[in-house]
Amino acid sequence: MGVMRLGHINLRVLDMDAALKHYENVMGMAQTDKDEDGNVYLKCWDEWDKYSVILSQSDTAGMNNIAYKVERDSDLDDLKKRVEDYGISVTDMAAGEMRSCGRGIKFNLPSGHEMRLYAEKEALGKDVGTTNPEPWPDDVKGIKAHWLDHALLMCELDPEKGVNKVAENTAFMRDALDFYLGEQVLVGPDGDIQAATWMFRTSTPHDIAFVGGPKMGLHHCAFFLDEWNDVLKAADIMAKNDVKVDVTPQRHGITRGYTIYFFDPSGNRNETFAGLGYLAQPDMPPVTWTEDQLWRGIFYHTGEEAGAFTTVYT
Amino acid sequence: MQIDMKHTVTILDTDEQYVCDDEESLLHAMVRIGRKGIPSGCHGGGCGVCKIHVTDGSCRTIVMSREHISEEEERQGIVLACRAFPTSDVGLKVLGKMRKTVCKERKYGLV
Repeated sequence: MGVMRLGHINLRVLDMDAALKHYENVMGMAQTDKDEDGNVYLKCWDEWDKYSVILSQSDTAGMNNIAYKVERDSDLDDLKKRVEDYGISVTDMAAGEMRSCGRGIKFNLPSGHEMRLYAEKEALGKDVGTTNPEPWPDDVKGIKAHWLDHALLMCELDPEKGVNKVAENTAFMRDALDFYLGEQVLVGPDGDIQAATWMFRTSTPHDIAFVGGPKMGLHHCAFFLDEWNDVLKAADIMAKNDVKVDVTPQRHGITRGYTIYFFDPSGNRNETFAGLGYLAQPDMPPVTWTEDQLWRGIFYHTGEEAGAFTTVYT
Repeated sequence: MQIDMKHTVTILDTDEQYVCDDEESLLHAMVRIGRKGIPSGCHGGGCGVCKIHVTDGSCRTIVMSREHISEEEERQGIVLACRAFPTSDVGLKVLGKMRKTVCKERKYGLV
């Protein structure tokens, strides 16, 4: 019941040809559709629904919206009521308004980011099929990303003005959409300001994350890889393709994932996230990181800020 | 065979110089040789931290986010260094700022 998983993300790109080269040749996604407005739809080989990334030509970079798939059509009515009861207005979307999807709803998170929910999307199947499948397909390019795993949204945080959209989003996701808190960063003189949170509905450590910053935006969207060796090979492929890498292979303290941060050709940050992390469950006690160990949490080996991690996003 | 033209880039804020050919962005040429001065971010024209003002010489540019460079700024030679390729020797001033570059105090860990 309720939200199952991240369904798709709509990214703005400055140069569609360059973006396609990146998402197809480096990430290993396949183009599955293109609409009359020029938006391009892509899926990873291990996904079954028709697309998980929509690229839209624009004169700015960033995210237009993020969509989660719910289990049953009736969940849309239940969650619409709960979001409205929470005090957030909801707009109905007719079947087809989200391409190849059934009806949906859309609303803005307290941070301003547009979120969408839908229950049905046309399915094309995994590249390896469902009968006696091979463990991985042969004809996939680049890093062979398995699936779109999660996104991190930057949310306005200015404690001195009493603004904390991280905490507001976290409460909303918990109370209206039944997301669970996996981990959090608490900062400030009394250690009571929620500056970052990682939340889940699946059994992985996060399906969405919120981090505080000067303004709202997209920090990154992440794609799943199996294990550490895939991360190393993915970094090799990025170097071969002159992809701008922000942070080379590392482990996160938070979520325990194996990571690389890099940028698509429009400056939208991508991540490869590998490893299970741990089994996340509704009754798991949330993990807290304190301000003095914040960077150990983010980059476990060095315990220092790396790249342009908090200063650059779209 | 086309021979890449090499141009001298001067960061006027510090008088530092480096060489950049006309097929390489001003930012890429700088970071490739381990130099600093222009903030280095996404290298895709999206994040805006490498904003510069080209006051001497000329550059060819490719698409940049309008969130960071307006049409008027572009006419004045204000560009993103990751999207600018020199067509002559260039003198530039750094406009983009990384919030962390001057050891800005973070009272709340991330902000």
